[in-house]
Amino acid sequence: MITITNLSKKYNENVVLDIPELTIQAGESFGLVGNNGAGKTTMFRLILDLIEATTGEVSIDGEPVARRDEWKTFVGSFLDEGFLIDYLTPDEYFAFVGKLYGKSEGDITAFTDKMADFFNGEVAGNKKLIRELSKGNQKKTGIAAALLCDPKILILDEPFTALDPSSQIRLKRLLNELQETQNTTMLISSHDLNHVTEVCKRTVVLEKGKVVRDIATSVDTLKELESYFAV
Amino acid sequence: MLITDLLKQEFRKGFRSQAFYRGLAVKILMGFLALYFAVLFVLMGIVLGEILNEVHDTLKPLELFNGASLYVLLSVLALRFMMQSLNVLNLQTYQSLPIKRKTLVNFMLIKPIFSPANYMSLLVIVPFALKSVVVWHSGWVALQFVLNWVLLIWVNIWLASYLKRRFGHDFKLLIVILAVILGIAALEYFKVFSLFDISMSVFNFLTMMPFGWLATLVFAGLAYGLNLLFFSKNYYPEKFNEKLNRNENKVVGGLSFLEKYGTIGELIQLQIRLIFRHKRTKTLVYLSAFFMLYGLLFYTSEMYTNSAIWLVFCGLIITGMLSITYGQWVISWESNYFDAILTKNIPSKEYIKANFYILIAFNILSFLLTMPYFFFGTKIIYLHIAMFLYNTGVNMFLLVYTAAFNTKRVDLMAKSAFNYQGTTYKSFLIVLPIMFFPMLLAGVLGIFTTYNIIMLVFGLLGLVGVLLILQQMKLCTNHFNKRKYAMAEGFREKE
Repeated sequence: MITITNLSKKYNENVVLDIPELTIQAGESFGLVGNNGAGKTTMFRLILDLIEATTGEVSIDGEPVARRDEWKTFVGSFLDEGFLIDYLTPDEYFAFVGKLYGKSEGDITAFTDKMADFFNGEVAGNKKLIRELSKGNQKKTGIAAALLCDPKILILDEPFTALDPSSQIRLKRLLNELQETQNTTMLISSHDLNHVTEVCKRTVVLEKGKVVRDIATSVDTLKELESYFAV
Repeated sequence: MLITDLLKQEFRKGFRSQAFYRGLAVKILMGFLALYFAVLFVLMGIVLGEILNEVHDTLKPLELFNGASLYVLLSVLALRFMMQSLNVLNLQTYQSLPIKRKTLVNFMLIKPIFSPANYMSLLVIVPFALKSVVVWHSGWVALQFVLNWVLLIWVNIWLASYLKRRFGHDFKLLIVILAVILGIAALEYFKVFSLFDISMSVFNFLTMMPFGWLATLVFAGLAYGLNLLFFSKNYYPEKFNEKLNRNENKVVGGLSFLEKYGTIGELIQLQIRLIFRHKRTKTLVYLSAFFMLYGLLFYTSEMYTNSAIWLVFCGLIITGMLSITYGQWVISWESNYFDAILTKNIPSKEYIKANFYILIAFNILSFLLTMPYFFFGTKIIYLHIAMFLYNTGVNMFLLVYTAAFNTKRVDLMAKSAFNYQGTTYKSFLIVLPIMFFPMLLAGVLGIFTTYNIIMLVFGLLGLVGVLLILQQMKLCTNHFNKRKYAMAEGFREKE
């Protein structure tokens, strides 16, 4: 479904990402781990056509993503607060995003009702603007907006950080459900090895822009990763 | 004393902020602009006495000035009510420290007194006092006149901050105030009631009686006390800033009809919310509306109406100020969430179209609002129609096309009275083709042909642009697609 060929990104001769070949199948749950500066966010930004590749390309279903709009209809993503419109209330933001994907008001209400558990009574129906919300609730707003379009591909950068423990568990449950019922392709990065191995069936380790491990998740995966990152 | 410490910290905050050292070119340009206005004000102060002397046979300049004072002060109060930013943020930092609340409250109220921007009017007042009041009256009256004015500035600052905290940024209240001022002016005009006479007797007393300034001091004390009373009733910041943070859902609520127009309608609605929920954009809109009144000055002066070049300049400003000033930062306004624009289901074509439509809507709005100028004759009618077409057909394209060169993040939450954060030399460069090229064209054409033909040329140029609007949008979309990576990268960089 997603194919990466010869992809590299350089900033002034400084190589931040270099992936000769990588394919992510439809319905796969793809976990990305690595230390700070390993190139996780860069890789996601390249897939989302937010930065220009120095060489190579990313294609979805055989169509390159660069300078195209078609893929936006079925890719849901949340990387950072740059995806949030901070002067809207969460409800207004959901309405805005929902309308972009042709959702009716009824669809949007049904969606926020479904997410009520994850929101824990704080996000939807609140009169506060997004910029006045806590970091955790901002994250919930962004993740929910990414899910709102019933994405075939879901891309989340560090979705678990800033969430409280209950919300982390709820999010994991939500993501696993999506895989089972919708067969959603997921790309999730995290610093927390536990979370990744629980949600993803495949884990890729990035270091200094290169893929150094590509593991199908099994009972030993967590141990293998821990020993890799041990200092 | 603690208050002086707090003031010192405020100054440090200003000088140590990173923004202070960045964008030197812009600083210098703004500096020249400030200097220009300062010189203009001083000159005005020098000639004011002579002008006022010619206006009326029996009343002395100072008496006339005193008569107008209440009008001036009320207008300035309205202006302050709109523009003056209140000191709210840093209070939270200090509140947890062992500083008496009373000190903090006093500090908040006294701080604006030390801001030089509040004393701009003295640039007119002091020369007027030295040149005219001294001659017509005495040195003592002149001194008392200036002293009074300073105290009146204080009264104004404190009244505005009280009203603002008490009533919030209420759009309706502002309209009520403006209506009251206009209403009084109308009553004055029809000689039903004269605020002028009241103002004159009050201010004559304050300036000419010995120790009249003590009465003004009492006024200032009362205004200050009003604020203290407010703070004693509303103890916590969240309480006394409550009204300031209220959303303006009502203004935006009436725009739901836009939802019918799909993605473009949504994007336009979003930008309208952006405008009404940020101080900076609101100020820009108010100021542009104010520029529409410039016609009263320009179109009544022969110096301007006899020159096609100046008329083109005025016409562009009056019919296009709103779209040009907003358009200078078009796309950049949305730099905070530009990544969302790029990844959500918003085709670039639709995004560019939406921006075009907003600017064109501003043009149409300005054109309609300035229609009363049609009473100034056919010359002005031709001018406005030609400039409206030219702005819509040519200038909007230039704005959207060049917008893609702006890579500086515009932080809408940055607080300052004259906020020009996100301004680069590029913002000034764009003004050249938009304002000066038409003036140049008018000048060159003026050598060969008549006024009406010049207007026809502008009208036709605009019309051709309007007919080619789809091609213009396509060109802008392609350009945007090429530039979007550089823009996104620049917009991610916070100051």
